[in-house]
Amino acid sequence: MTDEEDRRGKGERRVPNEKDETAMPRRARDSGRVRAAIRTELQEVAGENEDKQPSPAEASQKSVIALENVSLAFEEPILQNVSFTAKEGETVVVVGESGTGKSTILKLLLRLLVPDQGRVRIDNEDITHLTFDDALKVRQKMGMVFQGAALFDSMTVYENVAYPLREHTTLDEDAIEARVREKLTFVDLEPDKVMDQLPSELSGGMKKRVGVARGLSNNPEIMLYDEPTSGLDPLTTATITYLILKLQRELGVTSVVVSHDIRSAFRMASKIALLANKRIEFFGTPEEMTGSDDPYIREFLGGF
Amino acid sequence: MILDSLNDSAKRGVYSLQEFFVLAGKALGFIFVKPFYTADLFQQMDAIGVGSLGIVLLTGFFTGMVLALQSAVQLQTFGATDYIGRLIAGSMIRELGPVLAGLMVAGRVGSGIAAQLGSMRVTEQIDALNTLGTDPIKKLVTPRVLASLIMLPVLTVINDFVGILGGNVIAKFYLGKPAALYWRTVFDQMLSGGFTLHYIPNDFIQGLAKPFVFGGIISLVACHYGLKTSGGTEGVGIATTRTVVTASILILVVDYFLTQIILALFPS
Repeated sequence: MTDEEDRRGKGERRVPNEKDETAMPRRARDSGRVRAAIRTELQEVAGENEDKQPSPAEASQKSVIALENVSLAFEEPILQNVSFTAKEGETVVVVGESGTGKSTILKLLLRLLVPDQGRVRIDNEDITHLTFDDALKVRQKMGMVFQGAALFDSMTVYENVAYPLREHTTLDEDAIEARVREKLTFVDLEPDKVMDQLPSELSGGMKKRVGVARGLSNNPEIMLYDEPTSGLDPLTTATITYLILKLQRELGVTSVVVSHDIRSAFRMASKIALLANKRIEFFGTPEEMTGSDDPYIREFLGGF
Repeated sequence: MILDSLNDSAKRGVYSLQEFFVLAGKALGFIFVKPFYTADLFQQMDAIGVGSLGIVLLTGFFTGMVLALQSAVQLQTFGATDYIGRLIAGSMIRELGPVLAGLMVAGRVGSGIAAQLGSMRVTEQIDALNTLGTDPIKKLVTPRVLASLIMLPVLTVINDFVGILGGNVIAKFYLGKPAALYWRTVFDQMLSGGFTLHYIPNDFIQGLAKPFVFGGIISLVACHYGLKTSGGTEGVGIATTRTVVTASILILVVDYFLTQIILALFPS
């Protein structure tokens, strides 16, 4: 006899919220559980974020990345009047539905694309109209982790991570190996196991981690991530999210993360930029976002 | 409506041509600019040159044999079979060697380059190079172009040699001509076209200038289509096909004009 039948037999009245839950269709019930889990998680994150409140010194942090009224169109407008800043050590997560131009923002920061209007500043330097060679130099300040990791498949893991060092430093081979080992260890990989493997021999999560190690190898001031958790299982997603947090906390790297994974976004973000209708519809802290009454933001958060 | 679409496709064509020449200018200019990717250059020379050796040997040898066989029938009617060596050497060195090696390499190497760079484009590896502060043209295109410029003349010389050797086989076993006679007529042909700077036979200039140009055409067309690949794996297939078709047609067309120019500049 189930509890319910038992209660019926005793003629007891059910507690209203129990009634609601059992009356709900299964999918709605699951969705309710997920939302409850997210709420709990957000509360935890809010707790964590309290530690991250900026000190007066931090409040005057310099702006490392700035998009100022950027507009870009190909055949159709992609971005219109988009602005946001990332201060030193901050992690800005750009969220939004698929196809809203999130990845385009990263390409603008890397100056792989030039905006039609507005400016992009890196370390207060306007990079909008740099020459190709000068743009290459600015890119050396940045590490980028691609959605599919974009490891060079003709090179081993070691050569991939060593690539930026060979290109832009005069380090000798011993120093390069030491750095490669350090970065692979930082991303929780065993250097001796993976160094000689080819990217095709790695799992998706390992590729992402090697991608992070390669992005980090030249000790960049800025890290950019394009959908770092897409296509990964929940455990690997958590690992990558933890890794980005670790980078932020231990190395103080300024980061811009493009993601549609709102849960990971809340875990790692200092600020969240919500991109919709070609504009930044919201830019603020995760707490401000959860406290917002804006129907679109409510719907966006509710969707998860 | 039709005019609009014609207008669009004409604009796209001109733009693509402009992109091609910009790529060619940069790739060739970077040959002289540091850093030199020497390891990549040797790797490409190995892939393009050593890798194509098998098909070049096979096609050269059989082309020489079939050329000798067809010519033998004609020459027999005039009783001029002693001159078969001249005919084979002239055809192979001036025309068939360079064009056949070019077409073979366009099929084998051109398609390979386009597919590799196309895959790198669709898996964001080209963007990764850019973000790591490397110019993809310098890292990927220049070594391939330089390796092709060096290796295609080498492959052509080998192709010429095995083609003439194939002719020797037919001359010996079909016509019963001794090898000494055959090779003497081969050398007669080489020396009969006149000399440039007293020592360089004009046939050699024609036979080496052509593969040099063809090498440039194949590698640049392949890199051009490879780098501008879009549309996932289907795009890679399209880039590969376009490369082989365009490079093959260009080789045959340019061959004609190059022959005209060389004949005018280095008359016999």
